[in-house]
Amino acid sequence: MTLSFERLQATVQATHGRPGRGYWLLLASAAALAAFGGWAYSLIVRNGLYLTGLERPGNWGNLITDFVFWVGIAHSGTLISAILFLFRAKFRTAVYRVAEMMTVFAVMTAGLYPIFHLGRPWFAYWLFPYPNQRAIWPNFRSPLIWDVFAISTYFIVSTVFLLVGVAPDAAALRDRAAGWRKRLYTFLAFGWRGTDEQWRHYTRAYLFFAAFATPLVVSVHSVVSWDFAVSILPGWHSTLFPPYFVAGAILSGVAMVIVILVPLRRWLRLQEIITPLHLDMLCRLVMLTSLIVTYSYATEILTALGEPASDPERSTFVYRMTGNYAPLFWLMVACNCLGPSLLFSGKVRRNLRAVFVIALLVNVGMWLERFNIVVTSLAHDRNPFSWRVYTPSWVEWAMTFGSFGWFFFWFLVGIKILPPVSIAEMKEELAHEGHASGEVAHAG
Amino acid sequence: MPAEPGVLGSFGEPSAAASAVRALKSAGFTDVRVAMPAPFPEVIAAIGKPRSRIDFVTFPGALLGLLCGIGLTVGTSLAWPLITGGKPVVSIPPFVIVIFEVTVLIGSLTNLVAVSVGSWHGGRPRVFPRHPTFNAERIGVLAVGGDPSQAERVLRDCGAEEVGRVG
Repeated sequence: MTLSFERLQATVQATHGRPGRGYWLLLASAAALAAFGGWAYSLIVRNGLYLTGLERPGNWGNLITDFVFWVGIAHSGTLISAILFLFRAKFRTAVYRVAEMMTVFAVMTAGLYPIFHLGRPWFAYWLFPYPNQRAIWPNFRSPLIWDVFAISTYFIVSTVFLLVGVAPDAAALRDRAAGWRKRLYTFLAFGWRGTDEQWRHYTRAYLFFAAFATPLVVSVHSVVSWDFAVSILPGWHSTLFPPYFVAGAILSGVAMVIVILVPLRRWLRLQEIITPLHLDMLCRLVMLTSLIVTYSYATEILTALGEPASDPERSTFVYRMTGNYAPLFWLMVACNCLGPSLLFSGKVRRNLRAVFVIALLVNVGMWLERFNIVVTSLAHDRNPFSWRVYTPSWVEWAMTFGSFGWFFFWFLVGIKILPPVSIAEMKEELAHEGHASGEVAHAG
Repeated sequence: MPAEPGVLGSFGEPSAAASAVRALKSAGFTDVRVAMPAPFPEVIAAIGKPRSRIDFVTFPGALLGLLCGIGLTVGTSLAWPLITGGKPVVSIPPFVIVIFEVTVLIGSLTNLVAVSVGSWHGGRPRVFPRHPTFNAERIGVLAVGGDPSQAERVLRDCGAEEVGRVG
């Protein structure tokens, strides 16, 4: 059946219907997981960081791994909404709203972990520049301050970008809603009426938002990579890190979009809007970024192996591949390099179960990648006397799993409030080219 | 505040709405307005308004962000000139990162303010009568001023599904 404006709007509106028992169960599970993580963190607040497995030289572990992982997840939203918008990639229309929501909730998650990692989190505000009697300001030469600026800017700009995109859709939903939803959509619509004068300013402003967000998305994970790269630690001190981190972030983010979209389109009955063609295009992004990540792995390993046997860089990489953490390293390679290579087959890309599993494994692999970078380099530094194997404590694992609960809690709330698809952009697409059908035969 | 007096036609297809806008303009109607659920390019082209100049607000906003970033990093470093890590007090490469982020932040927020003001101005009930279907599936074409009967005739000839007088 051809999708009409009315049918499109009705389909999106139906996603905000009364949630079933499954939804409440998922929401309660996510809230319980987040609460468990929060309780585990309260133990650290009350007793100190000794409850973690952190000990010299391994002063960064799971919590920093979680931070880098969630910042990476946050990358796909802006990539899909801003960068693909500038490149006029039509397939983004049906999927970018979910990716943008994911971005905002992932940054909300990521931003917590550096604070969790502080010995005295109640002084976290010291990281921000504010006028004070002693005229003490943050050290802008420190990569940790760059993070504060990059992450907070990214959070604000991503949220603004999401809400600006939602305004015309909120107006469409407002006019057919009642009760608290009507009040909410009236607020989110910002007085939107759809006049030509409004569209004239809106389309121009949206272009500028995309133009601002594009370099921002590249800068944020580059800045995160500099947390490591500007140090002199073997395994961290590398000029390869910014592009390597950005590609890895996009890989994990797009994989997370797939992991969410495959069940979501079925649950919310969005199959007519989010078609296999859209998932096929996302799979191609995964393939591309997986190739870049694989190239980066090969580059840093081969560069290190080219050094003399006494070189600390070589020693770290040999340790990474053969030492205590070797199983995690090879699992990472399998998940991030071998798994996505299966997507070269059009048959695999058309099999949504296979796509879901591959994308899920990419997320596991990308978490392991961050763990490998953070932990193995510290565990095997320049001084053999201080070498030590870091093992995360149960408190850290609780906080890691709690982060997933926190993220999915907000996502589940968000999906029932905000339209999961851009209604306005879909209508524009429908009026001119017809919607991308479910046929992906040409895509093989 | 009621809408300005005019004739409102409702269309289901963007191409028909675009034809109606062009026909009204040819018939001498200088003030033709449209409300639609998406920015249909043919309708926007038919309206023929110049490109929005919110860049005159956004770019100065970004420039202000740049200056704020420079002021924040350089100014605060000079206010307490403490040498750390053997680096110059004013270290340009690391400061560029913070300056860039502040530029993007203030530029984006200025862009938000600009589009909000423009949207408020262009969305007043006086500009276009309130009609829920124009956010959903219909395109409204409003001819303000001129001869109402002629406007009604032009809109009907162009395939308007409903035509009525407003204001």
